Amino acid sequence: MYEWSQAHHELRAEFAPWYEVLSEGHLDADNDPGSDTDSDGGSPIRKWEQVRASGLLRLPFHTEWGGRGLDLLSTMYVLEGLGEGCRDGGLCFSICTQLVSAGIPLQRFGGPELKARYLPGICDGSTITAHAITDPRGGSDVLGMGMTAKPDGDDHWILDGDKVFVTNGPVADLIVVYALTDASLGPFGLTAFLVERGTEGLLAGPDLPKLGLRSSPLGELSLRNCRIPAANVLGRPGLGFAVLDHVMRWEILCSFIVQAGAMRHRLDRCVAHATQRRQFGRPIGSFQMIADQIVEMKIGVENSRRWLYDAAEGVVRGRDVTTDVAIAKVVTSEANVRSALAAVQIFGGRGYLAETGLEKDLRDAVGGTIYSGTTQMQRIRIARMLGLKESQT
Amino acid sequence: MDITEVIREFVVTEYLPDTPADELEVDYDLFRNGVVNSLDLLRLISWLKDQFGIPVDELDIVPENFRTVAAIRDFVESALPAPAERTLS
Repeated sequence: MYEWSQAHHELRAEFAPWYEVLSEGHLDADNDPGSDTDSDGGSPIRKWEQVRASGLLRLPFHTEWGGRGLDLLSTMYVLEGLGEGCRDGGLCFSICTQLVSAGIPLQRFGGPELKARYLPGICDGSTITAHAITDPRGGSDVLGMGMTAKPDGDDHWILDGDKVFVTNGPVADLIVVYALTDASLGPFGLTAFLVERGTEGLLAGPDLPKLGLRSSPLGELSLRNCRIPAANVLGRPGLGFAVLDHVMRWEILCSFIVQAGAMRHRLDRCVAHATQRRQFGRPIGSFQMIADQIVEMKIGVENSRRWLYDAAEGVVRGRDVTTDVAIAKVVTSEANVRSALAAVQIFGGRGYLAETGLEKDLRDAVGGTIYSGTTQMQRIRIARMLGLKESQT
Repeated sequence: MDITEVIREFVVTEYLPDTPADELEVDYDLFRNGVVNSLDLLRLISWLKDQFGIPVDELDIVPENFRTVAAIRDFVESALPAPAERTLS
């Protein structure tokens, strides 16, 4: 298990004062997420100005662009503190999307000019980012993707198609759009494009109502004959699968270490409640069935942290972590749902009330089993990496 | 087993379980024929790193190097140190 230095502890503590500010009013925001809807249909991200001021958005980017220059593990360590300290799961999710969707692939695959143009705004949060991966027809078959890009002369591409489930999409200024450029090239058929808000033919749909993560705007995108400069290709044409793989590792590791932090907070809350709340003349924590549930929560937190940090260390060391990241994602997302459900149960009737915030945690947690590749897709991925073949029939 | 055979064996074992290894032509197009998808490619690259000890940077990954068994062999040979250097090291 990774050892954290004094500098890491100090770094994490540096951001702690912001979490109370970011959490304030989160229950109201969850009940009425569209209350501050813009005239153009997009809901601004709650507390975004405070998020910007906190400096959280700078974590993994080079100092050259206004970032803090942190490596993956250090970034995750701070984000675990965010999950522990900030009660607004939707806001945390939007922050993670901002960090990884465009900035991370741009830093890794972008040329100097693209970086200079976009990274300073991504670091200070004046440029809100998103990535558009999922096709309306769904599925993991990228070669069946409906979003296509065709060359228009030597220096432009024409993008055409639709995307769904775009976090931050309704308000994003810059979106990484994955499009099919040449189906005959198999895995090299996919290309990642940086698309600016305001591009002619780009239409961002409104924030869609959903089960949880309500303060994180989620929408659809439509691109009709969008003319994109060739200079806005990340990496080069055909490298979309590598860009996506790089981004998905960061996305899973960063957004799920936030969940591990949230699980730790929930565990502490349940321990305190089980110690103080008395029934039949004794603390409820003294009942074995309550203690068992809390022990399972503890195991869930520790298991998740170990898998996430271990997989991250593998990324840094250049190990093949395809399977590890998939396992870490399944372990953490499922442990989070169990933890949230247990907390509602342990708090009983009060846990069921919106005012306690635990039912919201449960609704937020369900999302984790779906986004960034569903539990089922991760299991399929693990099976393939084991050498188990898809049915040939 | 030479490099070509090692690669052919891997491709057949991993992606074409119903094909005898000696029936896979070295110039068979693995992409056009849908043999290798994006996850398979990542696994193949990971295997090449481990098997031959060659660093493969994501930015060096071009389709020409992975389209056929022969192309993969050429890529591996060009990435390996020259035999003389290998002997010295």
